[in-house]
Amino acid sequence: MEAAFLTEHFITIDFWSSVQVVVLGMVGGILSGFIGSGGAFFMTPGMMNLGVPGVVAVASNITHKFGKAMVGSRKHAELGNVDKRLGAYLIATSFIGIRIAVWINSALFEGGADGHGSGGSAAGDLYISMVFVCILLAVAISMLRDALRARSPEDDGGPSLRIAQALGRLHLPPYVYFRTADVRVSLWILMAVGLATGYLAGTIGVGGFIGVPAMIYVFGVPTAVAAGTELYLAMYMGGWGALNYALQGFVDIRLTMLLYLGSLVGIYIGVYGTKVVKEILIRIVTGVVILLCVVSRAVAVPAYLRQLGWIEMDPAWDAYLNLASKAMLFAAGMAGCGLILFHVVRSYRQRLRVQHRLTEARGAT
Amino acid sequence: MTQIVCISRGSLSRGRELAEALARKLDYAVLSREDLIEAAIEDGIQVGKLETSMMKPRAFTERLARERDHYLAFSTAYLCQRVTEGPLVYHGRTGHLLLRDVGHVMRVRVVADDEYRVRTTMDRLGVSREKALRYLSEVEEDRRNWARLMYGVSWEDASQYDVVVNVERMSVDNAASALVGMSQLPDFQMTPASRRAMTELSLSARARLSLARDPRTGSCGFSVSAHDGVVTVAYLPHDMEVAEHVPAVLKGLEGARQILATMASTTILWVQETFDPTSETFREVVEIAGKWNAAVELVRYVPDQNGGSPSSPGAYTTPSPARAPATAGIEDDVEEEHEDDGGLKATLDDLARLGRAGGGRFVRGERGSLVATCCGTVPRSLVVVGNLFVGKDPAAKVRLTREMRDALAGSMRVPVVTVDELRSHYLFGRGDALRLVAYLTVILLLYVLVFTHQTEVLDFLLARWPSGTVGSKYLVALAVFGFVPLVAYAYGQVARSMMKLIKME
Repeated sequence: MEAAFLTEHFITIDFWSSVQVVVLGMVGGILSGFIGSGGAFFMTPGMMNLGVPGVVAVASNITHKFGKAMVGSRKHAELGNVDKRLGAYLIATSFIGIRIAVWINSALFEGGADGHGSGGSAAGDLYISMVFVCILLAVAISMLRDALRARSPEDDGGPSLRIAQALGRLHLPPYVYFRTADVRVSLWILMAVGLATGYLAGTIGVGGFIGVPAMIYVFGVPTAVAAGTELYLAMYMGGWGALNYALQGFVDIRLTMLLYLGSLVGIYIGVYGTKVVKEILIRIVTGVVILLCVVSRAVAVPAYLRQLGWIEMDPAWDAYLNLASKAMLFAAGMAGCGLILFHVVRSYRQRLRVQHRLTEARGAT
Repeated sequence: MTQIVCISRGSLSRGRELAEALARKLDYAVLSREDLIEAAIEDGIQVGKLETSMMKPRAFTERLARERDHYLAFSTAYLCQRVTEGPLVYHGRTGHLLLRDVGHVMRVRVVADDEYRVRTTMDRLGVSREKALRYLSEVEEDRRNWARLMYGVSWEDASQYDVVVNVERMSVDNAASALVGMSQLPDFQMTPASRRAMTELSLSARARLSLARDPRTGSCGFSVSAHDGVVTVAYLPHDMEVAEHVPAVLKGLEGARQILATMASTTILWVQETFDPTSETFREVVEIAGKWNAAVELVRYVPDQNGGSPSSPGAYTTPSPARAPATAGIEDDVEEEHEDDGGLKATLDDLARLGRAGGGRFVRGERGSLVATCCGTVPRSLVVVGNLFVGKDPAAKVRLTREMRDALAGSMRVPVVTVDELRSHYLFGRGDALRLVAYLTVILLLYVLVFTHQTEVLDFLLARWPSGTVGSKYLVALAVFGFVPLVAYAYGQVARSMMKLIKME
């Protein structure tokens, strides 16, 4: 992905590219508020499409997540939605997962030729893209399957419990009891989930996609507590990730600041959207947007393979592939946000119409 | 005479025997949970599916939520109907929670010793002791989940009941005799106030049931309340088109003199001693309701002589909203019938005119009564604790209001604010304007500094000091760690204030 570099692996940011990063933050924020999870699945590949090396995109995004979670988790804590003990157990192992992720990402980046995105960051970018594609593909398929199942009259009300039931049959002492969440969980399963969440947060910045479902379906934690605890966890994971990546010199504070400009406003719009869009539509929109993000990232993969010399391809194709990936990503994000905004505006108009009618009726009597 | 006794029975705790013995002695009809479930299934409710979903940790979909609404409406309407036909002993799990707004219900919990239950399970199921223990533990867990998810309460909490009977050392017959004596107390007699509460509960349940049964409105999540013959139906914005059928569906509903439909995304609960639709607080609450697309539910709360505090530490509260204080008898409630309603009706009328009415209720008694009333299954986003304890001196009023706010906040997982906090937290005032300007200045300064010194900033991030020496990477990491939350917090404040300003918070 061609980009001008100002210093080392940090790209030049002009007015146009900063607008694009703000838009990425805005779309990520809207989707984040709408889904109730992080918007990293959109922001990380979006930055990579702008020519930011994968490791810098992940580092800047995890740093962005740190500050955002710090602001958001306070609200959840006030509402009693945070099980700090559960969070503490998960944090301990997630730190190891993040450390592993930072080590792999840094090693792949530094093992490259020149570190300027033309082979140097290709190995890291390919690795990040492949993890992204595999994990997000599973998440998107699972979301869409649940959404379609929920439409069927045979639906019994929720996602499959096969994993929880299978794990429930295993006897893996010692067990730990968590009072706020009111659950008892095997220490080994806790460690595995913490490790996986940390690894994914450190590699692609989307630990919440694993952490929240695991807490709900594997641990049996109530949904609100799972979301609150995940945000609490995200704060520590983000902080630890930011420290580790900053230590390696991969955090681009300019990207983090530009992301905030869009995301902190977008979250409010996304949350408002959940009030006016039906649950089934929320699930379908989320699933489709994530799926398109996955396809968009997959489109960029041949360019990395060529840069590594693993396939033969005309280098001119890199630009086309990047453009196609970028267009698809923006189209997916914009379409999702457009749908949310359409419902928000329609709801406003309907409300005004009803109020007008009520006032008229009152006047007539 | 007592009109209804609700017996909550654990598995194999001899609750059925006790209920039947008590009904014989009082000459009341008996209704079991099994009869109620059978009637619900005949009404088309998938109770089995609902039970399964409650017992397992899975997502509670909209369809299940509608099934739960349908079940709750049906059960409440059915129980109310049976009580109007004659005095009743109901035995099941949580009948008293269906009728929690009705003051004269006598709530009994029956427990038995574990050894008896284990032995009975072993005999009935022909299983080992270990399997019997596991079976009982699973059954109890399922029932606990049911109470928590259906009503948001702990089933085993003794403060939910008027009396807990342990049949370990008392025969069922003697326990029934003791309950007969208790049922004669004035506290458990129907009063005009509790009759009115029962009528309104029945009306709202029948209205909700009609909406659930009708194919035009059955798929929507309505919140229904009734007050003085006025049925208020709140619905979500995405159900707008379906909600147009509400008046037609509820046309001819017995006991309803007016149907109000209010579009709401959520509900704001406003607790106050007397209401005034011309007050500043009314204007502020309506403004927030407008911003949030919310309905406003009113609770008129009149504290007892202790100022709403529990009478003594550790004492059981009486969480029935219409229940009179301990010394109260029929006279008090008769008197209440002629009292003015503290502006409740006038305020509800004005809310209805503005399309924000979420129903209204009256609660008198100690703090626990109000907390129990407020902790329902209706989703709420905010509780406003208004002007309470008006007869107290200012210091006591502040203390009691604060205690009330803390008690509500401890029981409901939503923000609970006093009137003073309302404006500062949720409305854009002068303080917000100043805060916006201050934080905006900080943010502008930070962004201008960073983006006009990009090379220097990036050199710093790479631990290259301007002098050309290589700096400590640890210092860089700590600087990033400290700087990012500062930017997030400052810009978060700017974003929040801006959203408040454009009423999209």
